[in-house]
Amino acid sequence: MSDPSRDSRIDWKAAEQSPEFRDLIAARRRFVVPGTIFFLSWYFGFILLAGYAKDFMASSVYEGLTVGYCLALTQFVMVAVLGLMYLKRAQNVYDPLAAKAAQVALDAGREQGRRS
Amino acid sequence: MSVLAASVNVEALIIFAFVLGLTLAITYWASKRMTGSDSFFAAGRSITAFQNGLAISGDYLSAASFLGIAGLIFIFGFDGFLYSVGFLVAFLTVMFLLAERMRNAGKYTIADVLSFRLNERPARTAAAAGTLTVAAFYLIAQMVGAGVLIQALVGFDFSVAVLLTGVFMLCYVIFGGMLATTWVQIIKACLLMVGITIMSLFVLGKVGFNPVELFNRAERNTTPESTFSLGPGTFLSSPIDTVSLGIALVLGTAGLPHILIRFFTVPDGKAARSSVVVAMFIIGGFYILTTFIGFGARAFLGQEGVEAAGTGGNLAAPNLAQFLGGGEGTFGGDLFLAVIAAVAFATILAVVAGLVLSASGAVAHDIWTSIVRKGKPQSDKEEVTVARIAAAAIGAIAIAIAIIGGEGLNVSFMVGLAFAVAASANFPALLLALTWRRFNTAGAVTGVAFGVISSIFLVIISPKVWPGADAEGGLLGFYDLANPGIISIPLGFFGCWLGTMLGKDETTSERSFDELYVRSETGLGAEGSVLAPTQVPDRAPATV
Repeated sequence: MSDPSRDSRIDWKAAEQSPEFRDLIAARRRFVVPGTIFFLSWYFGFILLAGYAKDFMASSVYEGLTVGYCLALTQFVMVAVLGLMYLKRAQNVYDPLAAKAAQVALDAGREQGRRS
Repeated sequence: MSVLAASVNVEALIIFAFVLGLTLAITYWASKRMTGSDSFFAAGRSITAFQNGLAISGDYLSAASFLGIAGLIFIFGFDGFLYSVGFLVAFLTVMFLLAERMRNAGKYTIADVLSFRLNERPARTAAAAGTLTVAAFYLIAQMVGAGVLIQALVGFDFSVAVLLTGVFMLCYVIFGGMLATTWVQIIKACLLMVGITIMSLFVLGKVGFNPVELFNRAERNTTPESTFSLGPGTFLSSPIDTVSLGIALVLGTAGLPHILIRFFTVPDGKAARSSVVVAMFIIGGFYILTTFIGFGARAFLGQEGVEAAGTGGNLAAPNLAQFLGGGEGTFGGDLFLAVIAAVAFATILAVVAGLVLSASGAVAHDIWTSIVRKGKPQSDKEEVTVARIAAAAIGAIAIAIAIIGGEGLNVSFMVGLAFAVAASANFPALLLALTWRRFNTAGAVTGVAFGVISSIFLVIISPKVWPGADAEGGLLGFYDLANPGIISIPLGFFGCWLGTMLGKDETTSERSFDELYVRSETGLGAEGSVLAPTQVPDRAPATV
């Protein structure tokens, strides 16, 4: 087989338990879990208000601009901000950690390959 | 039979011919580069992150997004915008939970990810069934929409319009595969963004570039009998239905096969992730501009324009373009109408091509290779040939259903159903396969079955479908939801859990969760990745 991840007989179980991989998972979770909770809460807060607080959403902030429209715009801002934050963190934090975890798994695999 | 309806818009015909010529040239170019499965299904994984971001936008923004949402805002005001918000926020779900993992774990179809560590044949069958259900409903909806629009905008007969759409869609997919489809989607995204930006500038120019003035004028143009409101509740009157729709929108995108397979066209997980951010900005900008079109139509066409805008206000945007260009009968008016009509046509073509491609992948890569051929190694050539035949067959069936069902088919019902199935069947199974160690084959099959069946059943018994659009109350007195998401999505997850608990433990299977987990998170061993420069052969046939 030409696939190096098979050639080197990666021990996936060991790779999954390696401290490097655990670091990656922990780092990603620290952002993705609160991020997901936040965006779902903000989004469903908006949806619930649109469903159950129609008068509030229809009230005017400034002339024809309603609370509902402003809150809808905050959703757009949220998507942009969370998207860029994730992108930045992924490039600066997760990618190096992922590369490290992958390298450790490959090295361990080669080591094993030589011994057997 | 006359091919043409009463009046044919000549300007529209010329612009249509130009757009179609361009897409055919791309298809020819792409067909010369076709080397095998990798290019047919994944464009050789050569698409850059920025290109893929544009292509995702082109794949995602259907005529329902462009004409449909502008029309809803025109007729109902705020409630139309609610859809835009859901369609956009959904990309956070895609980005946080699926984009990179899909790219790292899959090859051509979402079934690749689902069957990675599960018992291959049942898992693939379940995933292919989910894909085909979503693609079928979405495709027929788009085809009917295309027929109605082209008939209204260009003057072709409904069946001719459907046939024309179908033939071009099949051309792109069959001869040009993913590469042609991608570039058709990129061109469409550019045309759509340029078109809607120019229209918005025209609209804003008329109100001194003051959006608030636009809202005021829109509100002044409401009459006691109109449904337009700057607040919610005119279209979505039942709060629980609004919430149910909201759930299906925000989770449904993460289960749409034609969107998810786009991540296989980029070189790695990093590009997949960046492409989502590019798409977020394009799609977000698009939806903001759509509000200007919708409110602009209300401000300038007024209540008198409602009837002219047709069912659901779908023609509000083209009618507004005509008004902005100088009005009916003027050269500017006809030209602007023709440009927007061509943009709408390109919009539909790009979406249906993506859908047919995802469905043909499910047939050729999942059902044929793994189930009919029982996973024995196939030549690339056979897989592509089967995919082409499948595309032709799927296209022909969709064309036939759209023509036979005609304009009577309820487009929004089918789009709603597609999103409900995607959110209730595909999304739970995919997410749990990637993150839940205990998850097993029985869980995947039960989850997909629960999601598909409950979505379809609940939509059928929803009051607007059965007894019918004007009925008071539903078939079952206590059930009156138009959107099934709030029930069917939890049922999908429950099915996954139930099946897993009842099924046998697979935590020691040949390809383990550990392998999928490490691979999906790090990209180690991913298709075409730097760490795996050569092809990973498909898994050997499961020993029965």
